[in-house]
Order: sequence, then C-alpha cells, then structure tokens
Amino acid sequence: MSDTRMMDVEVAEDRHSEAMMINMGPQHPSTHGVLRLVLELDGEEVVSCDPDVGFLHRAKEKVGETFSLHKFIPYTDRLDYLAPLSNNVAYALSAEKLMGISCPPRAQAIRVICHELSRISAHLLGLGAYAMDLGAMTIFLWTFRERETIYSLIERICGARFTTSYTRIGGVERDLPEDFWPLLQAFVKEMPGRVDEYEGMLSRNKIWIQRTQGVGVITKEQALQYGLTGPNLRASGVEYDVRKAHPYLGYENYEFDVPIGTEGDCYDRYLCRIMEMRESVKILDQVLNTIPDGPVINREGDAELKSVLPDKQAVLTNMEALIHQFMVGTTDFNMPEGEVYFSAENPKGELGFYIRSEGGFKPTRLRIRGPSFANLQVLTELVPGHMVSDVMAILGSIDFVMGECDR
Amino acid sequence: MTESESQYKNAVPASMVDHGDPMAAEAVHAEFPDVTRVEEFRGDVRVHVDPAREVEVIRWARDQIGYDLFIDRMGADRGEDADPRFDVITLVYNLKTDKRLIFMATLPEEEPTTPTLIGVFRGAEWFEREAYDMYGIRFEGHPDLRRILMPEHFPDFPLRREYPMEGRGDFAAPRRAIGGTVDGTDGKVAVPSHPGQPGEKHGDPFGRTPGNRT
Repeated sequence: MSDTRMMDVEVAEDRHSEAMMINMGPQHPSTHGVLRLVLELDGEEVVSCDPDVGFLHRAKEKVGETFSLHKFIPYTDRLDYLAPLSNNVAYALSAEKLMGISCPPRAQAIRVICHELSRISAHLLGLGAYAMDLGAMTIFLWTFRERETIYSLIERICGARFTTSYTRIGGVERDLPEDFWPLLQAFVKEMPGRVDEYEGMLSRNKIWIQRTQGVGVITKEQALQYGLTGPNLRASGVEYDVRKAHPYLGYENYEFDVPIGTEGDCYDRYLCRIMEMRESVKILDQVLNTIPDGPVINREGDAELKSVLPDKQAVLTNMEALIHQFMVGTTDFNMPEGEVYFSAENPKGELGFYIRSEGGFKPTRLRIRGPSFANLQVLTELVPGHMVSDVMAILGSIDFVMGECDR
Repeated sequence: MTESESQYKNAVPASMVDHGDPMAAEAVHAEFPDVTRVEEFRGDVRVHVDPAREVEVIRWARDQIGYDLFIDRMGADRGEDADPRFDVITLVYNLKTDKRLIFMATLPEEEPTTPTLIGVFRGAEWFEREAYDMYGIRFEGHPDLRRILMPEHFPDFPLRREYPMEGRGDFAAPRRAIGGTVDGTDGKVAVPSHPGQPGEKHGDPFGRTPGNRT
C-alpha cells in the first residue's frame, strides 16, 4: 500500500523535473520565414523562449553605405517583401527629407495609393497565413484571391509584381496608365464585401475566439517598453499612427480612423488589421476622387543639387539631360551634410531610415529601423507561460516579416 | 503656375520636418546643463549626451517629460580617423506631444563602452546586441551581449568603416572568373558562407568549418 503511494509521488515529481528544449524553425511553416525559436518546455507549457534571428541578414545597411541614395531603392524592395511599394515610399521620403526637396501633389497621391494597396496586401497575407496556422485553410485561399487582384494592380503601376522599385527621389518613376483607374475602382468597390467574408468566417467563430482571445496579451506598458509599433502597438490601446501624428503625403486631407484595441491579445491584433484594411479602402476611394493632375516627379525643385533623374525621353534627345542622367547614375550629386530620421507607417509598423551624410554622394550611415525587429523581441516575454499550440497563435498575430527584421 | 504647384517645389512639407521638439531639448539642457549639447537639422533635434550619464538623462526624459515610447538604439561609425569614433544613437518618442528626441553619445575607438539602457527600456536589449554585433560597442550591465544577426563565430565587426564590402578571411566572398578562380585556390571555389546555411550559425553537425566545406 505504502509502496504504491510512494510510486505515485515519484511519478508526479518526475513529470516536472526535466525541461525539454525544442527547436522551432528556421524551417517551421508557422514561423513565416526563417525565424528560429528555442523553446524550453515543461510538458506542454513553454518556460522560456529565445528567438534566434539573423538567418536572412543581407547586410543592407553596409550596402547602403557604398551606394548613392538612388541606387539603394531596389534594395528597399526586399525589406518588408510583402509590401515592397510601401518600403519604396518610406525610403524615398527619407531621402527627400535629407535632400530638402518634396514631391508634386500627383506623385503624393500616387504614393498614397502605393502605400495603402501594399498595406491591404500585407494584411491579407498576414491574415491568411495566420488563419491557416490555426487550421482555417479557406481564409488563406480567399485572401490570396484578393492578393492576386492587388498584384495585378501593382503590375499596372510599375510593370513588376514583386520587386517594384517604383519611387524615385522627388517623385515616382512614371505616371499611372489610363486603364489602371477602372481596375482600382472595381477593387475599391469589391474589397469591403470581401473583408466582410473573412470576418464572417472568423470574428464570431467559436474556435477562432478560443484560440485567440486572452492569448498573448501585450500590456500597454510592455508595448511602449519594447518599442512596438503598428497594429501590434495599437491593439494594446496606444493611439500612435505616423499617418496621423505627422501626416506625410497629404494624409491630413483624407478621412480615416485609426482602430485601437483594448485588451492587447491576439484577437485584438487580428481585429485591428481587419479594420485597417477597411480604412485603407476608404483612403483609396478618396484618392480616386481627389487625385490632382500635374507632373509626377519634381524636376525643378533641386536645380542646385541636381539629384532628381531627368525625363527619360529627354535623355534620348537632349545632351544636357543625358549628361545629367549620367552624373546622377554614375558619379555623384552632393548631399547636404546632416542627419535625418524619417519614418513611415508601414503595414508592420514604423519603418524608419536614419541617414547620416557627411557631404559627398554616399551616406556614411544608413540605418534601417525595421518594425519587425522590435516586434519580435517581445516574444521573449510574451510566449513563456503559454501552451505550445498558443505559440503559433502568438506568432501569427505578431505578423512579422524576417526581411526587415534581419535586413 | 498655380500656388499649390509652386509650393511643393520649394522645400519638404512642414509636417515632415516638425518631428523634433526644441522645447523638450531645452528642458533637458536646463536639467543637465553640463552634459548636453543640442543640435537641429531638418526639424530633428539631437541631444548630445555624455555616455556616462546617458541612461540617467533618458530615464529623466521618460519619467519627467513623457518620452515613453522606445523607437530605436543604434551604433554609428565616424571613420577610423575620427576621435571620438563611435556614436550610440537613441530615439524616443512622446505620445502626448507627438515629438521625437534623438540622444547621441560618442565613444572613443579604444574599448567603446557605455552603460546599457535595458533598465529604462526593456526593448533596448536586442538593439544593443545589434550595435555590439555590428560595431563592437560594449554595453555595461547587458545580461546577454551576444551576436544577433551575424553568426556566432564571426570574427569581425562588419559595419565598421574599415571592414571591406567583400568580407575578410573565412567569410570573404569567393572571386570567380571564367575558366577558373583568380584567388589562387587551385580551381577550388570556396562556398560562400552565409548565415542562412544550416549549421552556419550554431556550428556544423559534422564539424566542418566554413573554409573546408566542399
């Protein structure tokens, strides 16, 4: 009798005695890229989590120091590779801030279209992949249907679907084609209904709610301490959106709301993204109705510095323009000395560029402040205490992309 | 030319260059007159701080004047000839006034060391690891100062100015030429070492080193 009891006690103790280390990633499907999590498990419960990043490091900051500002534009496509247009816009704005030039109203409106299209596209992928990780396969297929529409639109904008490199310092590469507008109109008309469909599948879905509500709660204090930005910060109840705080590209002229969460759990982050998509569609609709005519690149603005590329047609016919193009492309335009930081509200959060110039044509420091880097760090505090299956729910709701985390 | 057309041609829109807060910088300067110097460019306000008192100043800015959102902490290099050579730049944001402050501490080339900011902002941990990884700047009191983006056995600090673009030693990019190699490796082309390769970051399971993998 007593022996049996002894045995019971031993088993019970043994169950908790040994922690198990588990490697999640870098090839795990729910890590959405090459993120490796070293998890210490006690049974099904996570005791500690050590995210291991850097597998996608491509030395972008080093590369940035060897080029002139123009040549870095294609590299920004690969930062947040789910929203390349957004990165192009953020980088062009930072460069313009350093050069002290601005872009024409029509180019600003086009950039807003780029910004919001890529926001919808990135949120769609985040939502689809998130739902698939938690077992709702249908949403993934549906979101990719809409992403296909967006990619065709992006193809109309710049000729490429993925590696866009669309912006130039002082404007954008070319004006939008005539047949773009009806396509965008159709998309704007159709999209709210599509978002309703996703919401109909998830927002009141009992399984979805049980997997996400109350899971992975980020408090307001934590969010501020870790430097979270974007939907992750706003889901925790902090009202900070760069588009509202420091309206760039004329965002002050568009009417839109910034959705704020209350709990800071996975469900709130999901809802924030859903609502942001609706707001983006609203902005697109307004741009459609208000876009002004005019040039799309500011060629007169920097007659002194000559940093803006000349018109391609002029390059082919005009000697002056050819020399100008050659100078911008090969050797130099001298940048003003100084240091600027500019950040734009990207789908994942605040994407900032800190550019230090000591004159000359190459920046001496090009810091990329990728929002996913900060957003991922919170996992060390967020994941412990949850079950293993919750890790997927938390990862999906953070919605990171390794391209801009590892840079 | 209409008025709106002529406007954009002059300068950056005002909403893009109003991020800094000269008033707050003045407040910091009034509180710590001996350690700060204020600089402004395109609306960004930079406060130069003595590295020894940097943490104290940023803590004061967080608690007293509301700069409570941590944005960024990074290293920077002014070049081999410069003295002091390195910068540690910290960006914090005030959610109430929607302004940003940039703190800058300069460090010497020999043993660049500064106290860690983790006590003020937990999120500084990874950012400081990155600054260490890229520049070799050490942060006193950091609990876990390892490399973060580069492989653990990487010998250099790659963002220092003197580090060549094509890498060095085991991590040098192979030079390829048609019909053979130009770097005298007898026709063998070294496999480029990439942190994304399995085993590269945490040791190879078969004990191979990046140099001899074929």
